[in-house]
Amino acid sequence: MSEPQLVGFLCKWCSYAGADLAGTSRKKYPANIRIIKVPCSGRVDPLFILKALRLGFDGVLVSGCHPGECHYQTGNYRARRRIAITKKFLKYMGIEPQRLQASWVSASEGGKFAEVVTEVTKDLKEVGPNQLFTDERQGNGTKAA
Amino acid sequence: MANKKIDKKNISKLLKKWSQEFSVFVPSLENNEAIMAEWDGKDISFLDWYRNTVKPPKANFLPLMEKLFSFKKRKGNYQIEVPPADKSKQLIFGIRPCDARALTILDMTFTDAYEDPYYLARRRNTVLVGMTCTDPYDSCFCTSLEGSPSDAANVDLMLTDIGDSFLMEAVTDKGKKLIASASELKDATSADESKATEVKDAAASKITRKIDARDIDKKLLASFDDKDYWEKVAAKCISCGICTFLCPTCYCFDINDEMVKNQGARFRNWDSCAFPVYTKMPMENPREEKWHRIRQKVCHKYEFYPMNFGVIACTGCGRCIRLCPVNWDITQALNSLPVKV
Amino acid sequence: MEQKLRDEAKALLEQGKVDYIIGFEPGSLKFTTTPLITSNPDDIDRLVINPFIVNNLSKFLIEIEGRVGIVAKGCDSRSIVSLIQDNKVNRDKVIILGVPCPGMISLNKVELLAGKSRDEIDDITRDGGKIVITVDGKKKDFPVTEVLYDNCLGCELPTPQEYDVLLGEDSALVTDRAASRKKIEELEAMSPEQRWNFWKEEFSRCIRCYACRNVCPACFCERCFVEEAEPRWISPVPQWQDNLLFQTVRNIHVAGRCTDCGGCERVCPANIPLRALTREMYDIVDDLFHYQAGTDKDASPLLTAYELVETEDTFR
Repeated sequence: MSEPQLVGFLCKWCSYAGADLAGTSRKKYPANIRIIKVPCSGRVDPLFILKALRLGFDGVLVSGCHPGECHYQTGNYRARRRIAITKKFLKYMGIEPQRLQASWVSASEGGKFAEVVTEVTKDLKEVGPNQLFTDERQGNGTKAA
Repeated sequence: MANKKIDKKNISKLLKKWSQEFSVFVPSLENNEAIMAEWDGKDISFLDWYRNTVKPPKANFLPLMEKLFSFKKRKGNYQIEVPPADKSKQLIFGIRPCDARALTILDMTFTDAYEDPYYLARRRNTVLVGMTCTDPYDSCFCTSLEGSPSDAANVDLMLTDIGDSFLMEAVTDKGKKLIASASELKDATSADESKATEVKDAAASKITRKIDARDIDKKLLASFDDKDYWEKVAAKCISCGICTFLCPTCYCFDINDEMVKNQGARFRNWDSCAFPVYTKMPMENPREEKWHRIRQKVCHKYEFYPMNFGVIACTGCGRCIRLCPVNWDITQALNSLPVKV
Repeated sequence: MEQKLRDEAKALLEQGKVDYIIGFEPGSLKFTTTPLITSNPDDIDRLVINPFIVNNLSKFLIEIEGRVGIVAKGCDSRSIVSLIQDNKVNRDKVIILGVPCPGMISLNKVELLAGKSRDEIDDITRDGGKIVITVDGKKKDFPVTEVLYDNCLGCELPTPQEYDVLLGEDSALVTDRAASRKKIEELEAMSPEQRWNFWKEEFSRCIRCYACRNVCPACFCERCFVEEAEPRWISPVPQWQDNLLFQTVRNIHVAGRCTDCGGCERVCPANIPLRALTREMYDIVDDLFHYQAGTDKDASPLLTAYELVETEDTFR
């Protein structure tokens, strides 16, 4: 079975630094994650999450500063609301809830970052590869109205 | 050749016979929306409810999306694979005169300067079995545009409902071949012919919506710069694509490449001049304002197309009026042009 | 109500209190209305109020410049409030002519009940809790709840809460909340794969006309994400995957600003049941944050507001 592909949107000030710390502390965590640095977890538009799933990523992780510690004061509060809504809505649409996960990881929490990635990767292995947007039917395609 | 007729109870048999040679398309309901879809071999209930479809028959020739070719990148070069020409034979059963006329109007664009192989392959492999309208909508206005509910000029075979049967009039050689290959046909009597004429005249008289198309191109040319008029006319439009997508004579398309890693395909899909981004370019958008776009849409159909091809690019099918979310009405816009010529 | 509306609207124009009036006039087809946007007092006598004034006119406030008097039903006035919250509309430049809404009649539903098309029906009249449909001279009546739009059946605030002039008394709306959520209940009873397959099928019919987005007052971005070319989020080619992605993201983008006016579902030429998405989002937002769009013009919009401790923190 192929390895799940996970994309992580990490906020530059906390979570990305935390991931760096995991590296410099030689904490082991699965190599399934591909990291995209964003200035703040509040930058993450649910559009990115859906696009990642559309492209074939098996899961998306959004990680930011703990509430109250956002470099931009309120960005992560917005992320919290947006992700909560997105999770519920995607579940209603029929997307496996394990595919969108989120965490608060501070710059000093290298260990936590490694744990989060390990757990999310495990979840994705259980839930299986993302087949949501496969099926090349032409639908409205070449023939018929 | 004397006309034939077919009893309605034998329509299934007729369609089955034709299905041996063609993919037969009949009016169908998909989620309560009337469209032309491939006949399932059984259902002819459309005889009870069919007036006209929501999606126009242009979808069978210029599909909503189609793959033009696929490509693979190999060592700095592109390997291109063009799909084989669509040779499948289609039979569209029940196309209305307005929609058939629209196809003839579309042909002019797709053979002008460049012969579009995709469109023309389908057009050449399709036979059109038309059906006289018996119940025009209150949005229909074909009679103002050199059309009528019984106009057979653009089909291969024309059917007219004369009660328990359909009168069948062959128009082209293809139509004659269709009749020759059919079964269960009877000869039409002179009573049948008179009934058919009655039905056709009655249908034409049911059309209540009219426009004055005389010199409409000149009137539009004269009011081209009337910003006040066009702003008023355009005010309630919401710039969606419904009128253009559902119009049987609209043909604008977009071309997009879809690529994943080193391979992909080039697609063609419907586009609309009503969209604000239709004419958007890096430095400017000449039709940024809504009234520019509405003016263009109307003039394209009623002024520019006649200038280029000698015919108004509208057949009065009325879909734009029926389905517009704000009931924007082209007949009102045309009938209230503030210009006398 | 109609005469009061005409008197008020004419006065507003003649006294120079507004530059435009936005309301409804009879449409060019039977049993339809169409938006009337005018600065001419002579046009005002064409204004109507009837069970077919379905459009959410607040959409026009986004483009129009100047002061406007606008006819608004319950859901429409909430959309206006939502736009005020988003700073897209200036409260001082709008005069809301509120219509207590008895519910709008869906012509699709009438056609199904009558077995006839709209233009073959003689008359459709509301008589209290009943609807009387006349075909070929013969009258038949039905409970009005069978012909009202689904979103009207689930409406909580039919009488505008924010207005300058209220054109009538109580709305007399008869609701049926279960009926308004029927499709959602059906979907919630399915398994996740069945649900996803349902949407796959539905969006195979989407032609990307963008009517749903363009009627929506909550969709006011000058450059919608579907029109971005760099990066290109979705392709203009209407494959079901991108159609589905478009609608999913659109719903999340309008979360907390959608007032369930039902416009999107009504205008879809492919009859895709879009309210099964929008109403679900409306209810999700209510469940999670006890927030109903457009009920408080001084409140922060849902997604810019926050509590220090939310009831649901889904982060590890």
